[in-house]
Amino acid sequence: MNRILAIFFCCCLLAHGVAGANETASIVVIVNPASGIEKLSRDEVIDIFLGRYRKLPTGRVAMPIDISNPNDERALFYKLLVSKSPAEISSYWARLVFSGKTSPPFQVPDARTAVELVESNPNAIAYVDRAALTHGVKVVLEIKR
Amino acid sequence: MPRSVVARTSLSILLLAVVMGMVFSAIASWRVRAAEQDRLIARVHELLATVENTVSIACFLNDATLAKEIAGGLMKNRIVAGVTVMAGTTILYGNTAGTFGPGRGGELDNVSKPIYSPFSPGEQVGRITLQVSHAEIEAQATANARYTVWVLTLQMSVVAAAVALLVYLLVTRPVKAISDELHKLEIRSGMRLTVPSGRRKDEIGQLVVDVNALMTRLTDALDTERDLRRAQEISERRLQLVVDKADTGILVLDELGAVQSCNPAFMRILGPAAQPGARLGALLAPHGPAVDAVIADSYSSGKPRDIDLELAANDTRGAIWVELSVNSLGDTLMQALVNDITERKGAESAAQELASRDTLTGLLNRRGFDAALAKLLAPSRRQVRAALLLVDLDRFKQVNDTYGHEAGDRVLREVACVFERSVRRTDTVGRLGGDEFAIVLGGIDCPEKAQEIARTIIDGISQPIDIGAGLKSHIGGSIGIAFAGNPPESPAGLMHRADRAMYAAKQAGRGRVCVAAWPAALNSPAGDATEHDDESDAA
Repeated sequence: MNRILAIFFCCCLLAHGVAGANETASIVVIVNPASGIEKLSRDEVIDIFLGRYRKLPTGRVAMPIDISNPNDERALFYKLLVSKSPAEISSYWARLVFSGKTSPPFQVPDARTAVELVESNPNAIAYVDRAALTHGVKVVLEIKR
Repeated sequence: MPRSVVARTSLSILLLAVVMGMVFSAIASWRVRAAEQDRLIARVHELLATVENTVSIACFLNDATLAKEIAGGLMKNRIVAGVTVMAGTTILYGNTAGTFGPGRGGELDNVSKPIYSPFSPGEQVGRITLQVSHAEIEAQATANARYTVWVLTLQMSVVAAAVALLVYLLVTRPVKAISDELHKLEIRSGMRLTVPSGRRKDEIGQLVVDVNALMTRLTDALDTERDLRRAQEISERRLQLVVDKADTGILVLDELGAVQSCNPAFMRILGPAAQPGARLGALLAPHGPAVDAVIADSYSSGKPRDIDLELAANDTRGAIWVELSVNSLGDTLMQALVNDITERKGAESAAQELASRDTLTGLLNRRGFDAALAKLLAPSRRQVRAALLLVDLDRFKQVNDTYGHEAGDRVLREVACVFERSVRRTDTVGRLGGDEFAIVLGGIDCPEKAQEIARTIIDGISQPIDIGAGLKSHIGGSIGIAFAGNPPESPAGLMHRADRAMYAAKQAGRGRVCVAAWPAALNSPAGDATEHDDESDAA
């Protein structure tokens, strides 16, 4: 019974998330509170996630985290951030594979893992739905539609 | 230019093709070159557009490796002489003629394009510049243009050759064949041109058919004309024979009367002077003006005109009469016929003489005298100065009765001689019958003159006349005179007045002259209209 309830809850959550993404979508960029960063500009986020500067403003190396699960957080993130589809982003990275100068963000299966990784790593920087926020992370940029 | 139509048409077509080929080639070459240059420049822009996204990423990431990769790809195009990729102020990749290795030479043109961030379209992250080789563009454009010209020339040559061949086969060769055949054709042989096979319906066939029809008409016309000419020759020969053998002088005149031709009879009649070229009027002198008038009249009226002419004797012939008939032949030619009518004229005048003369006295008889009087008093004459004398012999009947008719005849002949002695040659004397005579005196100015002549006559006939056997007769005469009025009255009227005057003279006693009164309607030229007897000279 509990299990059924949990699944139901999850479903509701998901539905909410999807609905939120479509209507009042809101993706937040999160870092470890220990990173010492209060805010990041949109351009700084673009530079970090698309490999231009892999450094946080504090000089610490940044470790961007992509969510690769079927959830549409990734698609929403890149769409809101640089108006690109996941396929375009994939194509982008594909062109850079051979040059070796930079690499795509670290891939995690879901938002939860991403949050956990940020909670545990001061270099990590990730994006999640606002609904997936925990107290162990710090929001440095909210991207709205 | 060659004379052969085949060579000429072929050469013309080829020449035209060459000229047109050159013109079109020049135009094509110019257009193709310009288009090719535009196309190559556009291609450079297309190349830039192709690599733009990747360049954008390279600039965004300052990725020299990626930039080099892109440049390497671009440099594979021959028109690209060099590539420079700038990320901000940093040169990510540079390969130009001057700085990075050998360029592709010649004058260079930079085609530059700003590069924007792949993620924020407003942010310029770099610039890519392509160095384009002018020489290469020129070379490629020229090569393309040359190829076009070559193809065009080839096409034009093939078309021209085909056209020349077709024209030769369809037009010039058949025409030349027809021309050669015509050249050898004899018009009289009845030969016809052959229609080239398969060309019966088109213009060539039509031409042959028309030429054949023309030749048929021509030969027919020639035959007809030959027949006509032969018939005309026969007819002319026959006519010439008639003209030559005719007794009538036949001649052709122009409208001015000059003799164009004449037959032997004409020369026989007029003598050797009648040669062609002379004027007929001159040949028939002194009737020139009359002849000319007749010719002009016939010419203007178009009708035949006749005239009888008496020609005086000359060196070659005696005096003759000719009848001249003039006819218009149409155009400006006239035909004249000249007949010798001397014999007929002689017979005619002899007969007339016979009819109008008194056989006894040789004077005019009644008929002849009347004719002469009528002629004198013709209504056409406006003024006549003449006197008519009627003479009646006195005592002639006794002579006749006493001595016989022969004596009477001698008296009459003697009296006639007296009359002829007493008047002028131009005056007319006639014996009206028996012992009655009439005399017309012409040109009488005053009555006294006529009376004087009358008295002379009476004196003459009052002389004794020898009547043979030693006998002499004594007769006398009474004369009545009437003067012709102005305008003249009728002969009968004049005669009547003279008769009455003569009767009056006889009544008044023999040997008298009596002048007739003027009719009331007429004015006397002498101003005296009263009748009076002149008895002063009575015998």
